[in-house]
Amino acid sequence: MSQTFAFENKQDFLDKLTQLVKSGVSAKQISLNTPYHVHEVEHILRIKPSAMRFFAAIGALSGTVAGYAFTIFTVFHWPIITSGKPLISVPPYTIIAFALTILFGALISFSGFLILSRLPSMKGITATEEHENRFVIVIDNEDKS
Amino acid sequence: MQMNQTNYFNELERDVLSAMKKPNMSYWAALGFSASLLLMWALCWGYQIKEGLYVTGINNPVGWGIYLTNFVFWVGIAHSGTLISAVLYLFRAKFRNSFNRTAEAMTIIAIMVAGLFPIIHLGRMWKFYWLLPYPNQRLLWVNFRSPLVWDVFAVSTYFIVSLVFFYVGLVPDLAIVKRHVKGIRQRVYSILSLGWTGSLRQWVHYNKLYMFLAAFATPLVISVHSVVSWDFAMSITPGWHTTIFAPYFVAGAIFSGTAMVLTLVIPMRKILSLEKYITVDKFEGIAKVLLFTSLIVTYAYIVEFGIASYSDNIYELSIFKYRMVGDYRVIYWIMICCNSLIPMTLFVKKLRRNLVYLFILSIFVNIGMWSERFNIIISSLSHEYMPYAWGLYRPSFIEIGIFVGSFGMFFTFFLIFLKLLPVLAMSEIKEEAE
Repeated sequence: MSQTFAFENKQDFLDKLTQLVKSGVSAKQISLNTPYHVHEVEHILRIKPSAMRFFAAIGALSGTVAGYAFTIFTVFHWPIITSGKPLISVPPYTIIAFALTILFGALISFSGFLILSRLPSMKGITATEEHENRFVIVIDNEDKS
Repeated sequence: MQMNQTNYFNELERDVLSAMKKPNMSYWAALGFSASLLLMWALCWGYQIKEGLYVTGINNPVGWGIYLTNFVFWVGIAHSGTLISAVLYLFRAKFRNSFNRTAEAMTIIAIMVAGLFPIIHLGRMWKFYWLLPYPNQRLLWVNFRSPLVWDVFAVSTYFIVSLVFFYVGLVPDLAIVKRHVKGIRQRVYSILSLGWTGSLRQWVHYNKLYMFLAAFATPLVISVHSVVSWDFAMSITPGWHTTIFAPYFVAGAIFSGTAMVLTLVIPMRKILSLEKYITVDKFEGIAKVLLFTSLIVTYAYIVEFGIASYSDNIYELSIFKYRMVGDYRVIYWIMICCNSLIPMTLFVKKLRRNLVYLFILSIFVNIGMWSERFNIIISSLSHEYMPYAWGLYRPSFIEIGIFVGSFGMFFTFFLIFLKLLPVLAMSEIKEEAE
């Protein structure tokens, strides 16, 4: 059994949400759908910070390591001195490591987003019910215990 | 806005998505024209592949002709997409919302066009994959100390990150498009939107992802064109071997990219009737970016000349004098007029807010920035150290055909973008309107 509240503007939606939380409805029972990100909701529902930052950090770090490791591996695999430069030439390899830091950071962050947001979602792809531009609160009253 | 939020959002969606409806005759005419230029590009390149590089004007001493000029020019054009999307997002510049989608699309298309030019420039273009590091039967790896390999990494990273950023920005809007179309199109947009519903969970992570992507993309604005500049600055050719090249190229890239955004958005706004969302105030914001970067570029021109004069190096000094009064002086003075003198008029507020003027100015800046790239590459190579090794370069018809055809490719893809994807970031405009 669930209850749905739909609003035409943000302020009414936020007022209702605040009222529900004050009346004892837990954040776990509440599902929201909004046409854009409403930042105040995170404060009202005391949402934990997104774990996206871990994906971003791991991605960036792995890119840096991969950049240096790969360039150093290749020069030892076939050692050729070019232009009298040392085999491990840190400044040019830093450019490769920098590019891979950005690349891996972006790609792993995107993968993290898909995992955390549970996308792609077949339910969402095939959904027929649309909330359009309304601000929607759904209260799930079912006892899941 | 509070009372009529939903009505405003519905109106916004209707206005933006009406651009994606059945094209009219003028659209087909524009597409036909740009596609014919694209065909000319393909024919010219096909002929060059068949005959070899002798059909170009490239020879000693100018081994980098307008193909490399075009590469640098198009990479530069690609830059403002990231500037407008990522950098202005981090700085919370509100005028970005009217331009970011177009600028991002422009970035993707411009990098694709740019990426082709080094391949076109190769004598045996089918060997282009030798630039990539992969295990091979020769047991050799690419030379990671070479600026050309840095380019491969920098430009391909830029392309992939820009594509991810573009797609992520599109996801909520694709879900909106899904609601407004029927049949097979609805199914396609449903899949492309990944089943986005606008739930709290999705928005929280989406918001963080967008911020991280902006943070990752921002250093790319600096790094990619710095790396492109090092293609030149790492050599000892007079006029190239200077430490100012990286910031000079980055500023130039933002300058040219911003101009191209104006070239695209001003007519697009009129044709698609988006005056309500892309206001004159927002154009003024972009015009200020254009003016600011023009000042940096002008400063770089002066400093570059100052360094050469102060160095007491006859080769450096000679090349700067040659640029001003030598065989390519017309290109040099076009560059100065279009990039340094004409943009100064943007100090006048009335002109910053005049869209016809901004459109004409943006064309001048595009011409000026292409001339700058030509001036840097061609004049330095044709007038290096030894007078007996000097020589002139004239592009052949094939090179000109490929150059003009690259605009055909750019505009063809851009016109296709207009009909397939929403041209404004609707979710962001909704948020801004609250």
